[in-house]
Amino acid sequence: MPRLTVNGQQVEVPAETNLIEAARKAGVEVPHYCYHPGLSIAGQCRLCMVDIEKAPRPTIACNTIATEGMVVLTETDRVRETRKSIMEFHLINHPLDCPVCDQAGECWLQIYYMKHGLYDPRMRDEKVHKPKAVPLGPHVMLDAERCILCSRCVRFCDEITATGELGIFERGDHSEIGLFPGRALENPYSGNVVDICPVGALTDRDFRFQVRVWYLDSAKSVCPGCARGCNIDVHVNRRRPHHAEGRRVARLKPRYNGSVNRWWLCDAGRYGFTFVDDKDRLLAPTRREGETVSDATWDEAIAALAAALRRSPPDEIGIIASPKMANEDLFAVRRLLDNRALRRVAFRVPPRVAGDQDNFLIRADKNPNSLGAELVGLGGDSRAVLEAARAHRLRCLMIFGHDLLASEWPAAEVREALGAVETVVFVGANANATSAAAHWVLPAAAWVERDGTYTNFEGRVQRFRQATEPIGQALAEWEIVGRLLAALGDESTATRAEHWFRQLVAAVPAFAGLSYQALGDGGRLLAGAVKA
Amino acid sequence: MTTTDPTFSAEQLAEVRRLQALYPDARGALLPVLYMAQDTFGWISLETEEYVAGLFDLSPAHVHEVVTFYTLYFRERPGRHVVSVCHNLSCHLAGAGSIIAHLKQRLRVEVGETTEDGRVTLLSVECLCACEAAPMMQVDDRYEMNLTPVKIDRILEGLA
Ligand code: SF4
Ligand code: SF4
Repeated sequence: MPRLTVNGQQVEVPAETNLIEAARKAGVEVPHYCYHPGLSIAGQCRLCMVDIEKAPRPTIACNTIATEGMVVLTETDRVRETRKSIMEFHLINHPLDCPVCDQAGECWLQIYYMKHGLYDPRMRDEKVHKPKAVPLGPHVMLDAERCILCSRCVRFCDEITATGELGIFERGDHSEIGLFPGRALENPYSGNVVDICPVGALTDRDFRFQVRVWYLDSAKSVCPGCARGCNIDVHVNRRRPHHAEGRRVARLKPRYNGSVNRWWLCDAGRYGFTFVDDKDRLLAPTRREGETVSDATWDEAIAALAAALRRSPPDEIGIIASPKMANEDLFAVRRLLDNRALRRVAFRVPPRVAGDQDNFLIRADKNPNSLGAELVGLGGDSRAVLEAARAHRLRCLMIFGHDLLASEWPAAEVREALGAVETVVFVGANANATSAAAHWVLPAAAWVERDGTYTNFEGRVQRFRQATEPIGQALAEWEIVGRLLAALGDESTATRAEHWFRQLVAAVPAFAGLSYQALGDGGRLLAGAVKA
Repeated sequence: MTTTDPTFSAEQLAEVRRLQALYPDARGALLPVLYMAQDTFGWISLETEEYVAGLFDLSPAHVHEVVTFYTLYFRERPGRHVVSVCHNLSCHLAGAGSIIAHLKQRLRVEVGETTEDGRVTLLSVECLCACEAAPMMQVDDRYEMNLTPVKIDRILEGLA
């Protein structure tokens, strides 16, 4: 463990630590463009120059390993002058089109120019022009004039996805980022190049021109797209809703978690949030009688549902919960089972098409909380619940979120089953063919509209936080089930997600010792979890 | 594979492997292998880039990087002969401008173009290291020095 001094401050760092990371440990930021901790060292941008005592000239920090006794100075006159000149070089041919650039506000050219540049431009020649607004693939747009050729995007495609789509072509001031002619940037992780591009050269086609980034609010969350549970920030547009035609979730960005997704997200997860602001969101409780659908109040809906549960013998009530529900919701369902002594419960519904999986992040199980549902004790035989319904042995069936008619089960059998039950209740965020066949439809809040936790496939319990208000009259599932429990006379139902979590921890041994506070931002592994 | 697909012979493939083994990273052999490809197929097409990429287990984009970086790889099929006139300092002072003008007029092409009959491609290039014999040009693998319009006409006549 070499000890070195950075700007007069002693730090001890692990062997092989480079000077950018060593300085970071000393609380000193060394400005840089091409260095990224998740990629190989390129030494391309030259911005991270620092002075090292006894070295004749400034040295790039990214490619210098900290050694015992090293004395590093990041703010000498010489270093500042060097940085300023390098900034000037980087901006020589830059089009300075910040007013129409999506990156403005989170662009490292802007940030570092203000911090380390502030020179008077001396460039009097016509700038070199390059292609602008070139779609590289389904998600990424290239503006080659804004590119500073840091090669982060190239290294990402070489080292992380090993797909090698991108390259730097031509040379000198004609060098530009691009694809092999005729190819597209369409690997399953392509969106990450937008995150790591330090400037506005690569922008997100989905997010482009929706809203300025300084109007966004952010909440720490977890991707619900598969069992990995990648950590994300949900960026919502509350302050300029008219800029994006009412779309509230502007984008999802990866949030670093060294044990889960590091800096990355897959595209399916990153762009998979459209259901949140979809037209098919359920806005109010509804009741269907024959072909007539009418709105109801929550009180009416809960009372009707409580009555249906009361009048049906426990054996004639089925519940199909969902592995997309949070641990808190699932525990509320478990309480409902205990309250009514119900046994016909399950949560797994086989998808029509098996999910894809790779050996990086993407998991075949497209649900964020299958393990949680299992541990809470809802892991029954869903096919048996369906069969019971089909055999006219159920009077009441509660379905959470699933579209049974889009599952692997034959649609005709599902229709028969739904038609054979006196009261079918659907609880979910979005309408689907199954909700259309239900007698009662109760609107659930989407994951960004509420708090909760998921347990990923490795047994890591992770919090997601509310980023925006529930749409319409939607409520979190724990609240819907909680109101139902109250109507059934259970006095101890909780009124916050965190309280439900506490009750879960007290009741389910697998979760012992956990609390929202203990989960923190990075989550915690269940005590019994074996890390895959 | 159709007949237009670039493919090396068995001997050439053996040579590729020999070249690759010379370098600690086989990629080091990319330049000589691309020259082999250029000699064999006449130029470096995108198909050739993909073929060579396959020989190195590289992505075509990385071969494209190399081909577009260096000016001596032809990215379009050149004429049967390539005439490269030096326009750098010494040759320029010694009249390269009028030499190029003469060639353009005789060949009826602009710099960078190939004559309609596919006989000659005219290029202007940086220093070819023969300043003592300026103005000069390279015709295929030969240097032609101390150029005059008369000398150029004679050289052009010799190009089939
Ligand atoms: S496009 Fe962005 S990430 Fe890629 S080289 Fe240019 S500046 Fe770097
Ligand atoms: S790998 Fe799974 S959890 Fe991660 S971003 Fe993709 S869908 Fe979301």
